[in-house]
Amino acid sequence: MSLAELLWVEKYRPRSLDEIVNQREVVERLKVFVKERSMPHLLFAGPPGTGKTTAAHALAHDLYGENYRQYVLELNASDERGINVIREKVKEFARSRAPEGIPFKIVLLDEADNMTGDAQQALRRLMELYTASTRFILLANYPSKIIDPIQSRCAFFRFTPLSRDDVVGRLRYIAEREAVEYDDEALDTIYEISEGDMRKAINILQAAAAMGRVTVEAVFKVVGMARPREVREMIKLALSGDFTKAREVMRKLMLEYGLSGEDVVRQIHREIFSSELNIPEELRVMIADYLGEIHFRLVEGSDDDIQLSALIAWLALMGKRLK
Amino acid sequence: MSGRLPWVVKYRPRRVDEVVGQDEAKRVLREWLGQWAKGRIPEKRAALLYGPPGVGKTSLVEALARELDFDVLELNASDYRRKADIERTVGVAAGKKPLFKRGLIILMDEVDGIDPKADEGGLEALLGIVKKTINPIVFTANDPWKEQLRPLRDLCLMVEFKELSEGALMALLKRICDSERIYCDEGALRYIVEKSMGDARAAINDLQAVAEGYGKVTLDLVRAIVKGRDKTLNIWRTLNNIFYARQAWMAKKAVTQSEEDYESLITWLSDSIPKKYEDPLDLYRAYEALARATLQLSRGKTTGEWSLLSYVFDLMGPGVAFARISGGISREKYGFPEKVRLAVQLKSVREVREKLAEQLSRSILASKSTIKNEVIPYMMVIFRNESNPLMAARLALGYRLDKEMIKFLAGPNADNVIKAIEKIKRAKPEEVKVEVERQPKAQPKPPAKEGREERRPRTTGGLDRFIKK
Repeated sequence: MSLAELLWVEKYRPRSLDEIVNQREVVERLKVFVKERSMPHLLFAGPPGTGKTTAAHALAHDLYGENYRQYVLELNASDERGINVIREKVKEFARSRAPEGIPFKIVLLDEADNMTGDAQQALRRLMELYTASTRFILLANYPSKIIDPIQSRCAFFRFTPLSRDDVVGRLRYIAEREAVEYDDEALDTIYEISEGDMRKAINILQAAAAMGRVTVEAVFKVVGMARPREVREMIKLALSGDFTKAREVMRKLMLEYGLSGEDVVRQIHREIFSSELNIPEELRVMIADYLGEIHFRLVEGSDDDIQLSALIAWLALMGKRLK
Repeated sequence: MSGRLPWVVKYRPRRVDEVVGQDEAKRVLREWLGQWAKGRIPEKRAALLYGPPGVGKTSLVEALARELDFDVLELNASDYRRKADIERTVGVAAGKKPLFKRGLIILMDEVDGIDPKADEGGLEALLGIVKKTINPIVFTANDPWKEQLRPLRDLCLMVEFKELSEGALMALLKRICDSERIYCDEGALRYIVEKSMGDARAAINDLQAVAEGYGKVTLDLVRAIVKGRDKTLNIWRTLNNIFYARQAWMAKKAVTQSEEDYESLITWLSDSIPKKYEDPLDLYRAYEALARATLQLSRGKTTGEWSLLSYVFDLMGPGVAFARISGGISREKYGFPEKVRLAVQLKSVREVREKLAEQLSRSILASKSTIKNEVIPYMMVIFRNESNPLMAARLALGYRLDKEMIKFLAGPNADNVIKAIEKIKRAKPEEVKVEVERQPKAQPKPPAKEGREERRPRTTGGLDRFIKK
């Protein structure tokens, strides 16, 4: 057993297209590109954890070999500072000539659907401008958010949520390689929770394995722990009318987990429709409504501590009216 | 706070020896009033006490009056300026013998505030009264050398009050701290004294603002709260003027005249609202106003549309003040912005999270936001598992996590994980090394990309340019 360890999502990620056992149609089509050493721009669309990034890297690996990453410019639409930065980086990357035997270089743009319409228009022009030397692979969760002119320039690949057999099979393979003890039902449970998201499934498996035997109970425990319990605590405190304590928890949440205001809003949003929060159904909707307003204000750059304070004060008021 | 006695009143000297310094003034004034007490009318029937504010002019007169069993009729010159007013008040008092006490002192503050043009006839009326009065009249002035006061100066005994020495003020503040049983550090008192520029009233007010707000007086607090004294208001008064405003314009004025920059005032308000407002509706309305203020502020910043700032003030001041419609106002102290303290820590935690996401995203092949939301939470589960820190330790080695990252992931379990790492390293140093080298090489990346949240303008620095023009 090695002493330094990697996350299993990385350790067991397929490196080449041949190792990918699911998304068979997609993989077969990609293999043709490798064989012909030619491809159009690509758009990979599908939910998280269905293998888009893995397939893109495997494709590049098969095209260029072990050191493929030098021919790939990896960008993330939501991490980069706007389209101008992307443009500069692509320009810089496309300018250098590809060595002999490299037909084109690849720009891999993750979360392309997070770009605004204007930014996508600029992206489209980039794709045309550098089409002689580079190919773009765009990854997106929601293809409908990609503008038509880009869609029409790309070969479209739909990634579907992984089947039960795919996920459980992979989990079993990993568990056996790692000598992890597990219950079969536990792996089923992981599949159900992950909803076909392989990354999530493997992360749950690893976290549960760190605690010992992987049982259904351990799986639920991990899932519960992965969501800060403080979120629910904060909501409950606020609804009970204890503004000050609820805000302390809110601040602790941000401090302990380094969450941004928007992260906290997202966590609250997950929580409000959970059955473990026992509140009237119409209140769930009202909270969602106000939460959306707060979220928008945060997106506009407003102060997170104060927006969340307003949210807590509002919850306290709603709590009082419920009584 | 409004319900309590201001310390300038509470600690106003009762006896002459409690008045700090001013020995010469004490001697001259006691002798002069002594004559009145013996029933003699001195050559000069009025005295003009002059000197900077807050050095004890009024206090000394009151203390002497108590000593000599005199009554004091206090008038503020700025309230009685016109001839008719002066004759009706000062004039009448000047001709009457007091009923119960040995004498009556007519004390008229801020006589240098009388405007010879606007208040025509006022000074002449005073001169006439001084010449005939059968009771001692005492005027005070910060600046007695104004031209229009010359005739009055000729009729008055001139008594100079000097700026208080720093030593004397220090002693005074220390005495108050002792009697209030409040911890005060020496440096903090020195700071207050320096800023007060010899003005005891200002120094005591500042001391009270800090002490009552926070229960102790330390240099940090004092620096945050006490600032140079000019026309602007310190934070404590600003908050009072907002929370107790009777009309909207007053609350707005409190905001626009505050020396605190607006972002910092917002954080003060944010931590004071829950202390002042108890009714949930009031609380919500106040926060909603403040939240909308920060929204307008960020819109102003991102669009450069500075005219929006006016709405920011409307919401911060009147918005918070008149959020109170259903409940009362608590007498609790204002809250020191917890957020100011937290902000520094928060920034560093977020930086660690950002750095970790960046480091992991290179090898895990996912965006930073995916790492933050989908990977780090599970790593936290592994790192916080107290029963078995081994997996965490191995991951820490595998990803070359630094101590900060381990602390972030493991929280209270960090020591366990760090110990486990040490143990592994001691046991098989070679193997760890080999294993680490087998890792995919990290690609060189442009340095320090910041995450979404840091990209927004959020510090106070940039704001000043459109505030204080």
